[in-house]
Amino acid sequence: MEGKIIVVTSGKGGVGKTTATSSIGAALALEGNRVAIVDMDIGLRNLDVVMGLENRIVFNIVDVVLGRCKVEQAAIRDRRIENLFLIPASQSDNKDVLTTAGVERVAKQLRAKFDYIIMDSPAGIERGFENSVVSADEALVICTPDVSAVRDADRVIGLLYARSLNPKLIVNRIEPARVMRGEMLSHEDVLEVLSIDLVGLVPMDEKVLISSNTGTPLVLQSDSKAGAAFRRIARRLNGEEDLPIEMPVYKTSMWQKISKTFGLKP
Amino acid sequence: MIHFENAAPVKLKGVGGGFWVTLDTSRSEELLITEMDKLFTKLRHLAVNANVVIDMGDARGHEPLFSLIKTRLIEKFEVGRVTTPPQKQSVPTQRIRQRDLSKGWNHHRSDVLMLRGRVRSGQKIDTGKHVVIFGDVNPGAEIIAGGDVVVLGRLAGKVHAGNPKNETAIVFALVFDPTSVKIGSVTAAGSEEISHTIPEFACVKDGGILVQDYMKTHPFRKMPWPEPV
Repeated sequence: MEGKIIVVTSGKGGVGKTTATSSIGAALALEGNRVAIVDMDIGLRNLDVVMGLENRIVFNIVDVVLGRCKVEQAAIRDRRIENLFLIPASQSDNKDVLTTAGVERVAKQLRAKFDYIIMDSPAGIERGFENSVVSADEALVICTPDVSAVRDADRVIGLLYARSLNPKLIVNRIEPARVMRGEMLSHEDVLEVLSIDLVGLVPMDEKVLISSNTGTPLVLQSDSKAGAAFRRIARRLNGEEDLPIEMPVYKTSMWQKISKTFGLKP
Repeated sequence: MIHFENAAPVKLKGVGGGFWVTLDTSRSEELLITEMDKLFTKLRHLAVNANVVIDMGDARGHEPLFSLIKTRLIEKFEVGRVTTPPQKQSVPTQRIRQRDLSKGWNHHRSDVLMLRGRVRSGQKIDTGKHVVIFGDVNPGAEIIAGGDVVVLGRLAGKVHAGNPKNETAIVFALVFDPTSVKIGSVTAAGSEEISHTIPEFACVKDGGILVQDYMKTHPFRKMPWPEPV
């Protein structure tokens, strides 16, 4: 059976595309799939650092597309998770070196070798975005609960629809306490504007920063709330569509409950 | 005007489900009938049951010739129906307004652009017509209309009604929360206040844009239908 290409995109930068790509890829591999994670952010390579594989890079996606090496030579095997591979981006080139035709040709080879190919799209809607979505079968839009991220995600959704892709939404970095205080948009507010299928809600988690900096997969950390959310997203993408979406909740302490009863500010 | 002396007295053109025959009535009847016979003989079975329109320019005074040709075509070439060109009618404005509403839309060319779905950030609708949207207009989207803008959902984008100079246009939305409103050449920024969930509309009043509750000030009450074209 042919593999499926999933593009992870957002429009806005810094909303968690790279973290989502690496976590979903790792979680899909843990589910027993053969997964390739492709960094399409040519010139601003990050995914290798987040996955802790930066020291093992020899070839990159530009080399594959330009025919300098084979897919197998560029794919770096992750030693911690079986069947997980990374094809890194080039750090020295820019986004114009790739053509959509070249990407499509490589995508065909990747589909034959892997069950899932997760592409990390760069921020923006220019050439890099075009190259990432050209051969995608599915699209995931990452959005944080703030007005500017929602605006950009909305634009990207319009562009994906124009390419006959039906994107699914992940709302990242939800802080239930701030939502409760009315300081942050809730995921309902985001969904009201974007109105696409929701595939998961990821809570704000300090462990994400630690895991990115140390290059350890988030989904391997059993106490990470975000990691658990990404594992559930991966299960949903892997066919368990009925798996209920967990709402991040704000757990109040006993003292806060007492203060609330007496009308004191939390 | 160029006039060719030797222009064909009978011209035949295929249209839709039949033929359009143009006759030069300045020529003699016999010549016209002979020429027509020649053309329809060539058509053979194609003429059978076809609809034929006989165009004699200003047909007045040529009724006997028309009925002669009609009988001849039906009898000799077995055509289906022979008619004169449809009359172009100019209906006075008053009569348009009194037209039967149940049938009126049949022959009323729409001056409204209707769209169903969500207008997303970065998408732009630009038309000279009125615009009706069955859905929401998200922040970052833009609508430019020659006439009114009606949004049957939440209007949160940028809107310009009555482009370029029609200040009688209105902007209506079930949830009125635009980032900016322009009607004709009058512009207003969106309100900072939290939007009310009541239908509201904007119109130009005393050189400024006024947003009113739709339920209290019905803007469509005085509108004639259909509008005089």
